[in-house]
Amino acid sequence: MLRIENLHVDVSGKTIIRGLTLAVPAGEVHAIMGPNGAGKSTLAYALAGRAGYEVTSGSAQLEGADLIEIAPEVRAAKGLFLSFQYPLEIPGVPTLTFLRTALNAQRKARGQEEISSPDLLKLVRAKAAALKVDPEMLKRPLNVGFSGGEKKRMEVLQIAVLEPRFAILDETDSGLDIDALRVVADGVNALRAPDRAMLVITHYQRLLDYIKPDRVHVLAGGRIAESGGPELALTLERDGYDKYLKAA
Amino acid sequence: MVVRALSAGEQNALAHLPANVRAAERLLREKGLPTRRNEKWKWTDLRAAFDENVQFSVSTAPDQALTDAAAERDDFIGVLAGAFGSATSVGLAAGQSEIRIDRIGPGNFYPRALEIDLAPGAAMTRIVLQPAQAGLVLDSARVRVGAGATYRQFVFSEGARLARIETHVAVEGEHANVALNGVYLAGAARHADLTSTITHRRLGGTTRQLIKGAARKGGRGVFQGRIEVARGAQKTDARQYHHGLLLEEGAEIYAKPELEIYADDVQCAHGNTAGALDEAALFYMRARGIPEQIARGMLTEAFLLDALPDYLAEDVRTEVTVRIQNWLGAAA
Repeated sequence: MLRIENLHVDVSGKTIIRGLTLAVPAGEVHAIMGPNGAGKSTLAYALAGRAGYEVTSGSAQLEGADLIEIAPEVRAAKGLFLSFQYPLEIPGVPTLTFLRTALNAQRKARGQEEISSPDLLKLVRAKAAALKVDPEMLKRPLNVGFSGGEKKRMEVLQIAVLEPRFAILDETDSGLDIDALRVVADGVNALRAPDRAMLVITHYQRLLDYIKPDRVHVLAGGRIAESGGPELALTLERDGYDKYLKAA
Repeated sequence: MVVRALSAGEQNALAHLPANVRAAERLLREKGLPTRRNEKWKWTDLRAAFDENVQFSVSTAPDQALTDAAAERDDFIGVLAGAFGSATSVGLAAGQSEIRIDRIGPGNFYPRALEIDLAPGAAMTRIVLQPAQAGLVLDSARVRVGAGATYRQFVFSEGARLARIETHVAVEGEHANVALNGVYLAGAARHADLTSTITHRRLGGTTRQLIKGAARKGGRGVFQGRIEVARGAQKTDARQYHHGLLLEEGAEIYAKPELEIYADDVQCAHGNTAGALDEAALFYMRARGIPEQIARGMLTEAFLLDALPDYLAEDVRTEVTVRIQNWLGAAA
């Protein structure tokens, strides 16, 4: 579903990702682990199309369609979703308005009919209940004054509402206490589907106790240094990233 | 005898001046209209904008006392209003309250000066709506606020070839409340200037000021806000915020917030920013599928609407919101 070939990414003139190759088939959840500064977030931003994250060579395709040359909103409409490590506050835009605008913009771009406000409200309320998101929060400006845990829950709510084909979760566990982590992980697990794939980026193994990956990749020095099954995460937790840092 | 070369606009104004407005004649001949050299007008060059194309209406019954007093304090808007527009005074008796809506334009040039006297316990809410126009807009309000009285004002300015809306509030009774909100939009070839002074002279007054504005390429927004807390105005609680948004390269916003405090037991805060939209927030919205133009519009609209006070009636709120949306739509 997602195919990355020999990707190189520069940030401020410095090469961060150097020849990364990765394939995530439909229906699977892969994890990317790695030391701080390995380029995990750079990979996420480059895939989502953030300005300043320049792909200098290589390719990234979602279901055969090239991602690199198209605008972030077009990537989203094609089914790519990035859950931010630090979700942004959107002052003055109520959460529900944000969700309606995003969903309808994506539907319009795909040539689908827009969803009516009552239908959207029903949909969002149901998904919010499952994620234990207080319906009152939907009226508040998105993420403004939300706690770290609330913001992460709101990211997962957005995945649930927007139903992307491919979701990248960047450090979704950071800032979460154990109860919030469970709620968020349950939410993510509920989104597993044969026609959807996910890439979970994390520094710690903890999240992977709750979201079981099919494959684990180690990102070090800007490329995939090792890949393995779920047991690789446990090895990393025990041995740390030292051997990759030395190699890089 | 002062000898000074008159500008074309000044000559034109003198030619149209009613004979009985001596104060205006003196001011025009001797001092002349303010230029950028005048500290209070340094971003709003009235003499340059006041050209030969200004069309004069003549004030039918100029208020001599108001016009003379205006000349005395170099109040150019007050003097021009006395000669070519309207200079009037209104008052509210003790305990009275009133909501007044002043719509400005769309005439070529009709300066207005308003004096407002609020007796103890009176409450005035003034709404100023100024749609975009090609002419010159000069408007001023001088407000005296008595003990326990309240003056609330909301100004919406879409700018003009030159628009300057002044508000001067003197808090002359104890425990009076002042709230000034404003939104300005400076599109291409538009100039919007919101200038205010608030002087606290008595114990326990409050001021809340929040001004937000946006400028596009070729547009200029100006905020000059001065708050003075006199020695006798202990326990004053004053807050002033101005935030400007530069939507494109070539947009200009100038701001001069001033806080002058002579009392030692007060709470005062101010904040002033001018910059572009938050790129990170913009990317976040785009990453969720919202096209860039729509995301910019949503963020800008939300930024500006934040300065609308809660007390606005629904129809005024709707009118202002629609005007902001239209202005933003024209940018897309």
